[in-house]
Amino acid sequence: MSTTMKIWGSFIFILLLMCFFTFIGSSFDFDYLIPNRLLRLSTIILGSICLAVSAILFQTIVGNRILSPSIMGYESVYLLWQALLLFMLGAHGLTILNISGNFIISIAIMLIYSWALHYWLLPRCKNNIYMLLLFGLVLTTVLATFTQFIQLSISPGEFSIFQGLSYTSFNRSKPETLISGGVVVTICLWMGRKTLPVLDVMSLGREQSMSLGVDHPKYIRLYLALIAVLVAVSTSLIGPTGFMGIFIANIAYALAGSNKHKAVIPIAFAVSLIIFLVAQLFVEHIFNYKTSVSILVNLVCGIYFLALIVRTRGTA
Amino acid sequence: MITVQNLNKVYGTKSVLTDISLTFPTAGITSLIGPNGAGKSTLLMIIAKLLEPSSGHVSFNSRQISDIKTAEYAHRVATLRQSPGFNLRLTVEELISFGRFPYSRGHLTQDDKKIIEESIEFLDLQHLRNSYLDELSGGQRQMAFLAMTIAQKTDVLLLDEPLNNLDMRHAVQIMQALRRLCDEQGRTVLLVIHDINFAANYSDHIIALKNGTLKFNGTSEQVITETNLKSLYELDFEIIRSKHGCLCNYFNL
Repeated sequence: MSTTMKIWGSFIFILLLMCFFTFIGSSFDFDYLIPNRLLRLSTIILGSICLAVSAILFQTIVGNRILSPSIMGYESVYLLWQALLLFMLGAHGLTILNISGNFIISIAIMLIYSWALHYWLLPRCKNNIYMLLLFGLVLTTVLATFTQFIQLSISPGEFSIFQGLSYTSFNRSKPETLISGGVVVTICLWMGRKTLPVLDVMSLGREQSMSLGVDHPKYIRLYLALIAVLVAVSTSLIGPTGFMGIFIANIAYALAGSNKHKAVIPIAFAVSLIIFLVAQLFVEHIFNYKTSVSILVNLVCGIYFLALIVRTRGTA
Repeated sequence: MITVQNLNKVYGTKSVLTDISLTFPTAGITSLIGPNGAGKSTLLMIIAKLLEPSSGHVSFNSRQISDIKTAEYAHRVATLRQSPGFNLRLTVEELISFGRFPYSRGHLTQDDKKIIEESIEFLDLQHLRNSYLDELSGGQRQMAFLAMTIAQKTDVLLLDEPLNNLDMRHAVQIMQALRRLCDEQGRTVLLVIHDINFAANYSDHIIALKNGTLKFNGTSEQVITETNLKSLYELDFEIIRSKHGCLCNYFNL
């Protein structure tokens, strides 16, 4: 009984938060302000789904709670591409390409990168996921160095645009990018929906799950592909999220009090939705866009992350 | 029936198993013994289909195991490695129900629930049913994992050092449970074990490996002799037999 109460309670809370987000100080301006806010709200919802699902899937298949998909270098690829664009085309180049063009090309590039990782590198690592993680980590650093190198060559104006792109923001999306992203994510979730019990078994580790009849290499490939798509959509839509995924996943585990994915994934989604909504409200109404969502969330994330490490050391 | 033929496993230039050929007996407990690095666990993992041999074949009921799909193999052979996932937030009952995953893929039927119940009763875990794994002692956790493996209802159970880090009481409980599993349900248990006294007193059959080669293979009485153990472990042994079994002493000799 109390669980259903909690579910309804959080559902109503999120709904109220959304209404508050849409209507606060809007003077019911249905021509400009409210449609814009609804666009941001949808971006937040889609971004939360991507972030929550990809973080939980990733942590389960690598069997580690202090990693997030960004360790594989998806976001570094995105940033390198944005820096290259600015370097080659200049600031107005980005406008020529327009936001939806950039959105689709960025997704394509991240998917090509992950395809190279999964289908070319993973078999060469003898399907050893830790080896793949190590490669991902090294590639992340290498790509970041390239990006820095380019940053030094672009003009200050272009640099400030680049910096804007490297933060999480809900203001970049357009209706068409949102719809195409939404369609892709829905397909992914539909594909993954039936495999939730497999994920539960996979959290026992490779050997135990294979002994229980899970075709481990096949599911690793499936989940890595799903993660790649989700991360690509969320990065193109809201920018790099860094280690926010770790924060969200760990709060969800703590709240769920269980490792069953059927319970954890919806909670992670709710947690990220609330965090993003609150952060965006703060940015819009308290800080008047003088700070960004990334900075706010990362500040809270960082503190929580330190606490998490200290606490797990205490119990281990 | 499990048969291995000319099995080799090489890591880089290091040979872990060299030309192993043998047939494992059905029904009853078979222990794999031998010093560290003898290749016992490697052999067990190859039979479990968790590791690919460098050359050679393993067959299960005259079928090559490489031709059997992982999902189907899980209906015939259950494997338990040293208990994994100890920080998982799962109850004992939830863990045991994973044993039915090969059959129900996560949607438990009435039959599955009955079998889960039987496994809980078999190991007397009723009082721990709703406890979380991360709150249990090592021995209790090992019992829970064993119950999961039993619930898988396979003819063959492969256990990799199930007594590792357990106190005497839990170790005896586990070996007695395995004994009952073989005697009452006719299952085959294959385990890697380090404690020579547990191996000698509870197994029907003993297979000894040393440096990746097969050293001895026979019934418990045939293998457990002072000369055999001395050549296997390079230690002096004194075997004291009584009506309760035998004691292999290797202290202060």
